[in-house]
Amino acid sequence: MSMQVDTTAFAGTDPVYVIAEEVFSSMIDGEPGFLRHWDGDPPPIVDAMHAWVDVHGATNGRVLLSTERSTADDLARALLQMGPTEPVSDEDFADALGEVANIVGGNVKALVPDPGVLTLPQVTHERPHTDPEALIYELPLDWRGSLVVIGLWRLL
Amino acid sequence: MRALVIDDSRTMRRIIVGVLTALGFETVEAADGRQALDVLEQGIEVDLACIDWNMPVMNGLEFVVAVRERKDWRGVTLMMVTTESEHGQIVRALAAGAHEYMIKPFTPDAVKEKLQLLGLVEIEELV
Repeated sequence: MSMQVDTTAFAGTDPVYVIAEEVFSSMIDGEPGFLRHWDGDPPPIVDAMHAWVDVHGATNGRVLLSTERSTADDLARALLQMGPTEPVSDEDFADALGEVANIVGGNVKALVPDPGVLTLPQVTHERPHTDPEALIYELPLDWRGSLVVIGLWRLL
Repeated sequence: MRALVIDDSRTMRRIIVGVLTALGFETVEAADGRQALDVLEQGIEVDLACIDWNMPVMNGLEFVVAVRERKDWRGVTLMMVTTESEHGQIVRALAAGAHEYMIKPFTPDAVKEKLQLLGLVEIEELV
């Protein structure tokens, strides 16, 4: 996937971060300030959940969002405007996390020259197969103290 | 006013329904374009349809085309609500007959402003 992201529109700011910040501030937190770059090396994600969308067309790639299950639960609650301890059904959980990946992925797709078709989001406990050499870009983020990683992968 | 909210994501339907309800709309939901056409074919009258683009069975663009082919549905205002943000996609949707285009993510205020532009929500006068 020739994923050369156009940074000029963002005055040199990381465009994927800008997209993530907008998604979190407008639809998850309702206000800015709760998402920032991860400080230092991110730790391995334990009990991980993965949500992704693929872009198929002249370019083929994957936008993958990974985080711990407990953080994913919090994301789903925030998006669904539920209470902090309210239980999230498996169906709501998968749908909410998939929608976050869908919105991030759709906006990342718009940065790619000659983008193709966006697939429907998928959510799994197991990490989807990605060739380690196909990693284009990875953005570790700190959302309310928890790690959320957005990765852009070339699909071979 | 009644709105038809069409999105395969339950989460997104819930969010949009919440925004529209706060603006005084009654809402009906559909999980894809085909289900939405079924709603209209049942004779349920709607003033506004909020339409996702990427959905299984029938996507949002196909739904817009299908609605625009029916004279008796011309009164329905069609607003795409989607992550498809490339200029070419916006042009395609508007050319197919969509009235307005909203890119996810959005805020409740942004939805309200679009609906005010469409004349579906009153603009408050400053006192």
